[in-house]
Amino acid sequence: MTLTMFTLNAFYGLALAMNMFIIASGLNLIFGVLRVINFAHGMFYMFGAYITFTVAKTWGAPFFVGVLAAAVALGLIAFVVERLLLRHLYDKEHLMQLLFTFALVLLMSDAAKMIWGTDQYSVGYPPGMGGAVNLGFVMLPQYQLFLCVVGPLIAVAMWFVVDRTRWGRVVRAATQDREMLASLGVNVPMVYAAVFTIGSALAGVGGALAAPRIALVPGMDATIINECFIIVIIGGLGNMWGSFLGALAFGFVVQFGTVLAPNWQDVLPYVLMLVVLIIRPWGLLGRPETGH
Amino acid sequence: MPQRRHLIASAIIVLLLALVPLAGSRYAVDLTTEVMIYALFALSLNVLIGFTGNISFGHAAYFAIGGYACAILLTTYGWPLALALPAAVVLAGLVAAVVGYFCVRLTQIYFAMLTLAFAMLVWGVAFKWKEVTGGDDGFTGIKMPAMIAHHVGYFYFTLIVVAAGIAALWVICHSAFGLTLVAIRENSQRAGFIGVDTRHMRWAAFTVAGTFGGLAGALFGMYHRGMYIENAFWTESAQVLIMVLLGGIYSFIGPIIGAAVLHLLQTFTNQYTPYWPTVLGLILLVIVMVLPDGLIGLARRVKARRGRS
Amino acid sequence: MKYSALLVAAGVLSAGTAFAQQAPIKIGAMYPLTGGGAVYGVPAMAGHQLAVEELNAKGGIMGRKIESIERDDKMNPSAASSTMKELITKDKADIIVGGLSSAVGLAMSEVSKQEKVVYISTIPKTIQMTTDKLHKYVFRTASNTDLEGDTMAMLAGKNKLGKICHLQLDYAYGNDLEAGILKALPKYAPDAKVVLTLKPKLGATDFNPFIPQVMAAGCDGVLSGLWGPHFVSWVKQAAPLGFFNKIKWISGGEIGSHEIAGELKAEYPDNVISNTYELWYTANDPSHAAFQAKLAKKLGTQETPQWAVLGYIGVMYTAAAMEKAKSTDPDKVAEALEGLTIGTPVGKLTIDAKTHQANIGQFWGPMVKKPDRAYRMMEPAEYIQPK
Repeated sequence: MTLTMFTLNAFYGLALAMNMFIIASGLNLIFGVLRVINFAHGMFYMFGAYITFTVAKTWGAPFFVGVLAAAVALGLIAFVVERLLLRHLYDKEHLMQLLFTFALVLLMSDAAKMIWGTDQYSVGYPPGMGGAVNLGFVMLPQYQLFLCVVGPLIAVAMWFVVDRTRWGRVVRAATQDREMLASLGVNVPMVYAAVFTIGSALAGVGGALAAPRIALVPGMDATIINECFIIVIIGGLGNMWGSFLGALAFGFVVQFGTVLAPNWQDVLPYVLMLVVLIIRPWGLLGRPETGH
Repeated sequence: MPQRRHLIASAIIVLLLALVPLAGSRYAVDLTTEVMIYALFALSLNVLIGFTGNISFGHAAYFAIGGYACAILLTTYGWPLALALPAAVVLAGLVAAVVGYFCVRLTQIYFAMLTLAFAMLVWGVAFKWKEVTGGDDGFTGIKMPAMIAHHVGYFYFTLIVVAAGIAALWVICHSAFGLTLVAIRENSQRAGFIGVDTRHMRWAAFTVAGTFGGLAGALFGMYHRGMYIENAFWTESAQVLIMVLLGGIYSFIGPIIGAAVLHLLQTFTNQYTPYWPTVLGLILLVIVMVLPDGLIGLARRVKARRGRS
Repeated sequence: MKYSALLVAAGVLSAGTAFAQQAPIKIGAMYPLTGGGAVYGVPAMAGHQLAVEELNAKGGIMGRKIESIERDDKMNPSAASSTMKELITKDKADIIVGGLSSAVGLAMSEVSKQEKVVYISTIPKTIQMTTDKLHKYVFRTASNTDLEGDTMAMLAGKNKLGKICHLQLDYAYGNDLEAGILKALPKYAPDAKVVLTLKPKLGATDFNPFIPQVMAAGCDGVLSGLWGPHFVSWVKQAAPLGFFNKIKWISGGEIGSHEIAGELKAEYPDNVISNTYELWYTANDPSHAAFQAKLAKKLGTQETPQWAVLGYIGVMYTAAAMEKAKSTDPDKVAEALEGLTIGTPVGKLTIDAKTHQANIGQFWGPMVKKPDRAYRMMEPAEYIQPK
């Protein structure tokens, strides 16, 4: 591998990582606070992409209006789902919450088929981002450079909100002891609803931002959800910087692994998770769970 | 403990099943064969879920190993069934033992994700080891011993093997071993205090689950005369998990009921609409919102209410 | 194009309506109607339904109405195998048509062999079906990877490619197509050299690990088997780098179809030569116009998808074989299919008596910009048909 190729692959690995982090961050946030494994996250991602398609291509609105629409729509769907159904399940076993989100996947996949049919769609790059930046020895696609900026921005924003604001303190407290929090007069159910809404909106944004780079087809949710799980598990469930690290590990392993061992590209992410879990059973930055 | 009424009920069910081919419907014979195989598959998974509280996302791996191994030994190597089937089951059990060794060090979601990772590795091997498994074209044209090549012959063969498998699982689950597993599920800390090596017990349960999953897989492959990489994919693991949960994890026969209901429902739904995902989604919503202990739990509650009135 | 959801519902309704004095002839049709495969399965089923409606309007087959029993094959071989058995044993289907993926096609072929019922494979291309795994009851009206590979090698020679990059998806179709191309390359382009072979995975959405390698390899042309969404994703990620300015892209996998051109519109790149089974705007047979008009009416769009014709041909062959055999008996129908020639919207087809493969061709040509259209069209579109 020449230096040029190495640089290029390193950049692409980073771009892939940031792309994945944007999607996985919401999944991780929801787990961190609600302790719910949201299988429907991939479906939210797919809806985000399809909504962007409808708004930006069918209706002809600017691309970033489509991104915003995806975030709002997914947030809204998530809020309704949480208030109507999910909130009744927090006291039940993990398994029931998991099954619930799996039911969402099934229902939403058929809903998508009814709304958008089964054709494949394409969303164009936003103006001025469809080209490449020529650095002399490498060409870097503008849109992926943009993703490399958005990813860390989201990470920093989440860190700021969770670690530096009053509301963030409430959220962190909710992960520790919700009874205590409730007795202090905090409206815990609304905190939960807000977190589920924001996490799902992030999935919508992830799908919207991925849309210009890929073909939108039924089933695009299935691969992404497994990869998101791998990232948050590698990083340590519920740990935001863990997810960031997990996404980086994922991005570089998949990028370089595919170049070096193309025959095994299908299972590379799983091998990565396997190795991490065997060496560090609670993820790179996670802590062992206590109790049961 | 083994009560006489359980034995009698089981014997009656087996006898009734044995009468199915006499009805003369080829379709009923095939469908019953499929249901019996799924019942064994679901039951094997419940050794893990119901008795240790650990959820596996990768149970299809052992199903696929059993299925592929039996198919390959019969067809490529020309082994007789009497050798190929046990060898396939042992292989599935061995792989489960190795994987289980790593998995039982973890609990909850980490356990589930590690089982998923190993299962996808099995899927990857079935996909890439084309010379042996046929890759993603699948392994078709399984050579069947003449005795069970006919669908009625295969039905009785499946009935005998599945009945024996279920009986074996019953004995295992109601032995001291099974009771210890329940103790671990209920309170692993306390079980640890009284001297139970919880990790070893969970490991053993994992191996048993994999072994019987492999047996179900071997039956499945021969029934379809083919094994495919899709049989090892995580969606297959999810399906069997739903069967178990639908039936109910806290009773022995729950998964059997779950497997039968889900498979029949799916088969009949597909005859009317391709919107099976919606139907299944609604079923799952009902389970989680109102039937958390499955169909068996529902039956028990109904019975309890009748008893009171 | 929101017709697909409607069709799924319509198919279910039509399945139950049989209305003849004589018992109807039952055709079992299986295509993927859910998940990723639905992109192809749903339009193929539309073509299937169109053929059944047409035949029934003319009095069916041998004066008997046709009952079409339509099922989702779920792109899962075991599930497809169970469903096909059910169609045969419960619904008493006289013949089965359909399939999409290679594995499902082979699984259906296995059931057809066991149950001794004719299966016409209308989309699966795996060469195995008509070679190693050939049997009396399986027939194919789709193209196959050897035919497709042969044409691609021919085009490589015609376009004077010297250094070739080979790009295939890493699964049965891609591997078989690669073999088909390599077999034929010395014949058409003896001096061409394959300098790089890369195989992204099936279902890949991120081609970043591959694009720079192809650009650095210095090839003047790519022979590709990336179909549908794979091609779309590749274009979106490679085009910003100027990939298609320098490299000729000769591709199987039907990316010359209107579905792809119509969706990518201005994003569709230069320098692409590809194939498609059918084009709504070009005909090689007089009967095409009538077929296309009816399809357009059924789907509510002038710009109809290519996959419909494959479902249509499956039914047409069924009808012709049963008429010729004067029977629905599988053995007689299978014998009738051997060497049978029929007229279709894409010209006359003949099923080879030995290989059970129809000599279906494809339109091949460069995808060019049109001043009066938002999307590219294949021009000139040459129909290349095996002898």
